[in-house]
Amino acid sequence: MEFDWSEDEAHHREEIRAFLAEELPADWEAISQHGPGGDAQAAFSRHFCARMAARGWLTQHWPAEHGGQDASPWRHAVVGEEMWAIGEPRGAQYMNVNWIGPALMRFGTEAQKAEHLPRISAGDVLWCQGFSEPEAGSDLAALRTEALQVGDEYVINGSKIWTSYCNHADFIILLVRTDPWSRRQRGISVLLVPMDTPGIEIREIPSVVGERYFHEVFFTDVRVPTTTRLGPENEGWEVVGHALQFERVGAARYARAAVTLDRLAEIARERGLLEDPMVVDRLGEARALCEAARVLTYKVIDLRAKGSPPTADTQLARVLGTRADTAVGVLALEIIGPEALESGSFADANFRLAMTAGVAVGASEVQLNLIASRFLGLPRE
Amino acid sequence: MDFDLNDDQKAVLEAIEGLLSQHAGPARAVELAAAGDYDGALDAALEAGGFAEIAREVGPLEAVLVIEAVARQGGLSATAARLLAAPAVCDGPVHGPIAIMRAGHAGPVRYAAHAKTLLVLESAGVTRVELKAGECRPVASNFGFPMGRVPQGCSGRGEVLARGSDIRLRDAWRLGLAAETLGCMDAALAQTVEYLKERRQFGRTLGSFQAVQHRLAECAIQVEASRWLTREAAFASGAASGSEAIATAAAFTLNAAGDVFAETHQLSGAIGFTREHDLHVWSMRLHALRQELGGVGGHRRAVVEARWGSGGR
Repeated sequence: MEFDWSEDEAHHREEIRAFLAEELPADWEAISQHGPGGDAQAAFSRHFCARMAARGWLTQHWPAEHGGQDASPWRHAVVGEEMWAIGEPRGAQYMNVNWIGPALMRFGTEAQKAEHLPRISAGDVLWCQGFSEPEAGSDLAALRTEALQVGDEYVINGSKIWTSYCNHADFIILLVRTDPWSRRQRGISVLLVPMDTPGIEIREIPSVVGERYFHEVFFTDVRVPTTTRLGPENEGWEVVGHALQFERVGAARYARAAVTLDRLAEIARERGLLEDPMVVDRLGEARALCEAARVLTYKVIDLRAKGSPPTADTQLARVLGTRADTAVGVLALEIIGPEALESGSFADANFRLAMTAGVAVGASEVQLNLIASRFLGLPRE
Repeated sequence: MDFDLNDDQKAVLEAIEGLLSQHAGPARAVELAAAGDYDGALDAALEAGGFAEIAREVGPLEAVLVIEAVARQGGLSATAARLLAAPAVCDGPVHGPIAIMRAGHAGPVRYAAHAKTLLVLESAGVTRVELKAGECRPVASNFGFPMGRVPQGCSGRGEVLARGSDIRLRDAWRLGLAAETLGCMDAALAQTVEYLKERRQFGRTLGSFQAVQHRLAECAIQVEASRWLTREAAFASGAASGSEAIATAAAFTLNAAGDVFAETHQLSGAIGFTREHDLHVWSMRLHALRQELGGVGGHRRAVVEARWGSGGR
């Protein structure tokens, strides 16, 4: 056991910070106030990711044969922390590099790899994920969107919901039922569908979280070649399960929460609130929570760095990450006070992103189920 | 970064667990507690096994592994004070058992009735007092530790230790509290999970109810985060960031202890209150540990002071 950053990793963090200081425009805070899915941020991410790619940093943790540098997951974790801490200038592309690319490497055909990996690596393509449906939210295996094979094409009918980033996306990684007689996890496949395919319609679902945050995507007789299928037919559940397992810790929410908290402490000091024992107690509590989420995330990265199979540590980290994010979001409202109520203010923007934490990418309750069975070995009913 | 134990750490853990299988365990804790006794034999075994100087000779992280293990086995020994606090402020041999208190502390002090050495944390500095036999009156307590009341003014005859010793003692005490709390939570949760896997009601095991599972899962999150924060803090102790890391680990862990106490007792039902069921060996101690160094609020204030340079007192 040892808990130090290597010299290379510490140096890389400095490099990334210097790069961010150089690349982020003066109005970055306004650009990023609607989160990675906002129009301004999505547009900015294409420019920004290309700049990162030019330095070789966007997909450095990928194998060299696929456009990476075989860098350790720790180096990539440093990037993730610094990016999220400042509001994720990679926009939705963090998903590309974290798991869509790696899923393509593992399950893709040579043609799929050749088509998609160089673009992801270059930072000029946006993806979204088509998983949830109106009747398949936390219970994802209940999904109904159908892709029936007709000749050498699939014909897709159905709809997806909550789809963030789809209004800017070039592709959607889509979970569909390819065996209409199948139930639950069986009979599901993964398709890589260009968003400009005829028959795809997008409707924004207005929300309190931010502009263009949630969407519904409708598929009406959408025809794609069967060569767009990723991995074996009817085994898409395993494909996605494998790809997502390590990434369920997902975005480094704790890093953003920690930076927000540092800023809150500064504000508290300016207002003389650090003399208030109640405020001090809440700041100390929130800081400990951010750190706890960080260290559990590092435990998962350690497993990944060693090539160990994924464990329920992923779920432990994820639940605590959402708790840290949510706690800091609420604390910001309390410390800032009524000024937080103005749309676009620091506390407002932060709160809106934090409020989705326990639901996005799988509800905390589902994670708790997995911890109970996989980590504690408790019996199912 | 590496979360796996290295070969030396594995050897330490194996050795201490072997020793504890002979010299500790919940049955022994129950027996000693009934008589209000201290486990001098365990102390002697730890000395003989070479564990007492482990912080100096190997490192604070390895000392924390030992303290965790002793707590998991319900050891009634002032291990944290001996392994972490004493070497942080005293050169040369220290007569154990060792008790620690803050100057001006009112109320029972853990291990004071049996202690030969008392370390008093002053607002600046540390006073080391050699206690006379019988000087600290034993205090009966239901919170799992032998306690004693320290007579007022006894620190007047003590030796004032070197400058800066207060910071070192505070860090060592706090780290020891986190490690000991972690060991107790670990065992209390494991005991509860095992019980709920066996206990059947309504025609099924209680541990199969989702309402129960989620609460145990929440406890597991608390315990695992406490474990890694505490070990990471031990690794950082002595470095520039050490005090902050230690305060953070203690703030999280001692807060978790309150939740783990409440949940393990609630989910164990009435059997959890009895002396025939071992849960109390670990659970009751959690609340005693939460009394020291200003409790959760004190640790949180220390986090704020270390990180943002204000709010501390």
